Amino acid sequence: MVRNTKQSRSEIKRRRVLQGIGAAGAISIAGCLGDSDGDAPFDIQLEVNSDNDDRVQMVELIASSLEESGYFNTEIEDYEWNDYVARVMDPAYAEDGFVPCIGLSGTFNPESFCQALHHSENHGQCCNLNGINDSELDDMLDDARYGVDVVEDPDLRRERYDEIWEYLAEERYSSITHFDLDAAVMNTDVHGFSMFPFSESIFSYGLFSPQDEQVMWMDEDAHPDDTDLSDLQEGGTLRIGAAENPDSFDPPYSTDTTSTMAQVFGFEQLLTSDRDGNLYPWLAESYELVETQDIDRLAYEDYMDEVDVDEDGLPDTDEQIIIQHPEDDPADGSVRVLTPAEAADAVDDGVFGMQFRYEIREGVEFHNGEELTAEHVVATVERYENSDLSAQTFDSLLHAREVDEYTVDLYAQVPDAEAERELPGLYIHSLEQADLEGNDLDPREGNDPIGTGPYVFEEISDEQYVEYSRNENYWVTELGVEQIDWFDGPSEFPDGPVIDEIEVEIVPDNSTRSAALQSDEIDITYGLTTDDLDGYDESNDYVVRSIEAGGYEYIQYPANVEPWDDDRLRRAVNLLVPRESIVENVLNGWARPAWTDIPELAEENGTVDAAALEDRIRPYNEYDPERAEELLEEVIEDHDLD
Amino acid sequence: MSLRRFILKRILSIIPILFGVSLITFALVHLTPGDPIDQMVGVNPHVTASDEAQLRDRYGLNRPLWEQYGVWMGNVLTGDFGQVYSNGRDVSAVIMMRLPETIALGIFGWVFGLAIAIPTGIYAAVKKGQLADDASRFIALSGISIPNFWLGLMLILIGAVTLSLWPVLPPSRQPLYHPYMLWYLVLPGITIGTAAAASIMRVMRTSMAEELNKEYVTAARAKGLPEQTVILKHVLRNSLISVVTLAATLTASIVAGSVVVEVVFNWPGLGRELINAINGREINLIMAITLFTGVFIIIANLIADILYAVLDPRIRYD
Repeated sequence: MVRNTKQSRSEIKRRRVLQGIGAAGAISIAGCLGDSDGDAPFDIQLEVNSDNDDRVQMVELIASSLEESGYFNTEIEDYEWNDYVARVMDPAYAEDGFVPCIGLSGTFNPESFCQALHHSENHGQCCNLNGINDSELDDMLDDARYGVDVVEDPDLRRERYDEIWEYLAEERYSSITHFDLDAAVMNTDVHGFSMFPFSESIFSYGLFSPQDEQVMWMDEDAHPDDTDLSDLQEGGTLRIGAAENPDSFDPPYSTDTTSTMAQVFGFEQLLTSDRDGNLYPWLAESYELVETQDIDRLAYEDYMDEVDVDEDGLPDTDEQIIIQHPEDDPADGSVRVLTPAEAADAVDDGVFGMQFRYEIREGVEFHNGEELTAEHVVATVERYENSDLSAQTFDSLLHAREVDEYTVDLYAQVPDAEAERELPGLYIHSLEQADLEGNDLDPREGNDPIGTGPYVFEEISDEQYVEYSRNENYWVTELGVEQIDWFDGPSEFPDGPVIDEIEVEIVPDNSTRSAALQSDEIDITYGLTTDDLDGYDESNDYVVRSIEAGGYEYIQYPANVEPWDDDRLRRAVNLLVPRESIVENVLNGWARPAWTDIPELAEENGTVDAAALEDRIRPYNEYDPERAEELLEEVIEDHDLD
Repeated sequence: MSLRRFILKRILSIIPILFGVSLITFALVHLTPGDPIDQMVGVNPHVTASDEAQLRDRYGLNRPLWEQYGVWMGNVLTGDFGQVYSNGRDVSAVIMMRLPETIALGIFGWVFGLAIAIPTGIYAAVKKGQLADDASRFIALSGISIPNFWLGLMLILIGAVTLSLWPVLPPSRQPLYHPYMLWYLVLPGITIGTAAAASIMRVMRTSMAEELNKEYVTAARAKGLPEQTVILKHVLRNSLISVVTLAATLTASIVAGSVVVEVVFNWPGLGRELINAINGREINLIMAITLFTGVFIIIANLIADILYAVLDPRIRYD
């Protein structure tokens, strides 16, 4: 998912970039940029969206560093966000030889830091912008995720990712510059809060998450530094300052952060995750991998239907396409596809990649009184068909099948090391709402969201506020947290969230939101400018919590265009990217330089030994003008440039 | 020409203006690159070109521009402004929900502007050339020069954060007609009214000073009328003519200013909706809000013309 650019849209002060530019050579910015005298051997055009000030400043820093080397004539072109996206997603863009800069948001899956950028199947979409087409790398990426061997041996998987990071360091198709820190600021009434690495879940996670013994409570009389679980107080209202209006309350039909943030107070999944990405059974009481079969997607050939393609080369069908035959060429006028009905046939015949079985917890009640059963899971999967999230849902999922009232099987298409996390990643719907048309699960359409979650939707006033109240019949409260078999927390840990009401105030303007925090009209907010963060961090009246999240920024080289096809040139530019300076001067230290391509949150599955990996890769990514010069001289000599 | 004929003529002249406004609105929105489908699709890797084409077809965005204009205009004339693409809600419903908020803010700004401008203008004219006059000139210049968003933020910082006299966020759980709203609206009202107040103050002072030099003033004074009566009864009325026109035309600046002020004060009005609409490339919403704004300003000007004619009988006989 591309990072929301709106966050830093409005009023970031130009301040520190001046200092930053000073550090990296003020003259080049003032004198040369956009007005190159053309005497350097290499031309480079960096491209960026103009509405993200941090990103623009970062590109300016990179450009000035390149200019300073004396080897580059740099130009910066900026575009309005929509134009920019249309431009860089155009498959023909890869032939133009530009260097785009964009931000992405990764997950616990290490693939999200390499596959999206480099796999050839992502050319022309998100986010292989410059058409990197390296079949060796494609195979490496596929082999790190798919196959019985990596499913059964997580260490093998980690080794394969280590090979990918090293391969990428040599080839350097892209330069990841830094990993974002997400920060929340709160007043001292808020106790017990710690961050989750993804902003869409920070609040729902913070309110109650036994897997990390995380619970939030309100207490006006004590400072959060002086309290612990034994001081926990029930009741109260948490007022959250949100940066955007939630566009949607319909889980399969919303992709923006604020909407998801609002949904997850009320919806839950079969599994849950702790801060480090480990999975725990949640609505499922337990789950197991029943069987893994060594097949690939061609195994479904016999079940596929042939459908015509439309003028855009896409299958002309209303059914969810689960798999399109990998060898069929749309240019021939038709392709073979696997749709849900045939997927069921395949499973009947024992053709599937993986089978997971989930024992659903008995007695879990939806907000409308329905009791959770296997039927709910199957109906939820059906509602995700052909939704806005269908592509990522059926990336791995083949079929869902009710075994008995409280047992459900989910099947994966092929042996897939991410299936365990990906397959159950659906917000379970009530039967009452499982048949609603897309986008109709919305209070503004007369359907208040119904889930199993700890908070019940109360009211929304568009552009003003959203309110939730505590679910009095929450299943964890009914059950008792001690009854969850993996829970090993202290006895003081409560049986559910303790805060009674949640009020989400919608305040798009960062300064206004910051002012509202100071005048005690909200208790907690996020997405403030790094300047503001510094101020709050120094104050004793506020608490800043931050965590390294999945967000990252990168520039990508046009490897299909001369002279960029020479990896030495790409490596040299990478050596001139001032990562330390970007983090210090553009982001005021609220980020971490990307010494490797993988952030902390994906290390668990993405490397055997993060420290050793950093030792090996860091020299490729550290600012090193001398080494860059050597490489550039070699390129100049081989290409007969002056 | 009678007053009635004059008014009728002015009302009829609105029709071609409105047509022009609608044409320009439509052209500006459609000539800028990108459409709501680009926005909806964004960088979602899973949406294909044919999905996009289908969406464009569904919303008629692939038809020739003149045809789209015809369809849009036809719908607008029947009160149908189309839908918000991203959530399928009716544009007119959105506008009806936001309009009262913006009108409330606008009226407050306007009233505030006049309440400051007229007395200060009068005072400056009476004290022409003295310190008070210079001070009023300084204030007017500042009022015009200070950007709305800065003034708004400063007022929030001082009035709400430091002095805690006002809340930062509007009392959104209260209805618009709740008395507390009057109190809350003071800061946004000041912010929005300042620029208008500055211009009105200067015009008030100039025309007042001009009237004060006229012979009837000398005559009135010679009759022995108290100075207060001379100024407030005779001079003020005559010098208000130009202020009325100006005040009406300044409606435009109040409406435009409200866009920024609504964002800073988190006021859920049309201006904030417009910003969202522009970010989301919500063509229908942008066009409807722009058209509404245009109509609003035209009507304000019409009222000014009529008032002008009423106040100054010479106008309608030209």
